Amino acid sequence: MKVVFTLGLALAGLSLFLTGGALAHGVGYRQPQQPPVALEFFYSTGEPMSYREAKVFSPADEKFAHQTGRTDAAGRFAFVPDVAGTWRTVVRDEEGHQAEAEIAVTEAMLSGGSVNPEAASVPPADSNNPPEGLELLIRAALGVSLLFNLALIGLRGKRPPETPGPHFESEEA
Amino acid sequence: MHISEGVLSPGALAVGWAVAGAGTFAGLRKLEPEKAARTALLSSAFFLASLVNVQLGPASTHLSLIAPVGLVLGWTAFPAILTALLLQALLFHFGGLLVLGPNTADMAVPAVLVYLLFAGPIRQAGGRAAAGTLAFIAGALAVLLGALGVGLFLGLSDGNFLTAAKILFAAHVPLALIEGTVTAFMTAWLKKSAPDFLA
Repeated sequence: MKVVFTLGLALAGLSLFLTGGALAHGVGYRQPQQPPVALEFFYSTGEPMSYREAKVFSPADEKFAHQTGRTDAAGRFAFVPDVAGTWRTVVRDEEGHQAEAEIAVTEAMLSGGSVNPEAASVPPADSNNPPEGLELLIRAALGVSLLFNLALIGLRGKRPPETPGPHFESEEA
Repeated sequence: MHISEGVLSPGALAVGWAVAGAGTFAGLRKLEPEKAARTALLSSAFFLASLVNVQLGPASTHLSLIAPVGLVLGWTAFPAILTALLLQALLFHFGGLLVLGPNTADMAVPAVLVYLLFAGPIRQAGGRAAAGTLAFIAGALAVLLGALGVGLFLGLSDGNFLTAAKILFAAHVPLALIEGTVTAFMTAWLKKSAPDFLA
């Protein structure tokens, strides 16, 4: 009887312990206080970089990714920074294309965008973005012009030396 | 087909620069003064082709004109492609400066290969159909070899050549068909209007 009572007590204790553990691993969700940084990645053709591998590097650790994942169908990826500094996001595909965005996160951003309207704003897009519209046309024309000018320079450099023509000595009276 | 900056390992970059350097040296030695204008013309066409988007179902890509450059310029394709890619990197932000060597290698090597394999037979082909078929194969093959080259450089960097090559090969099949058609039409026109243009 004593043995049964002891075993029952042990089992009750164990079940209490396990239940306590399960409660400790419960899950929940809430919206973070800090505003997220959302970026959109695309190819020069305008096509989104959909479902591509994305890595975010914190200014606190440049070697190991702070967050990894994939972009969504529209090429978007978001993260919530937790320290001020330059955050680097790298998105790459399997064909050797890689887009890299550097976002300067300020203390004002971390404290919550609702207080200061400037706090939630992400700095303008990287200057490495491909040009568009008239700028693209001007650059294309500049490139073609440079190529023909280079050929002209090459042509002059490779032109064989001119053979001396007939030489006439002036007769002096 | 441009590999972006920061993707390749130093070893892959070195291999790319070695191939591009040797090919450009050979190409410059073969560059004849009277062919400077056509080199600039083909280099410009290559430079601008990257702006021509081709919609393939949900995805899109751009023309490369690797085979026409090779069939007209031969070995001079190396300096022509190197210069065009340099300007694309500086003016359009395609590819990059460090990765210029590998990008030149994976596009200029196929250009020279199709020149070595197809330029002679296309020149000698009697009928338009035979020349067109050869040019189509040259155009398609150049794109697929270019994709294989990109896969090789990516494989050199992360050791996973087969996966990269399979993905790239499959992704470039539609473009290969388009480039084959473009090359066939260009070659037919050149054979008729300016046969001296073909290398």
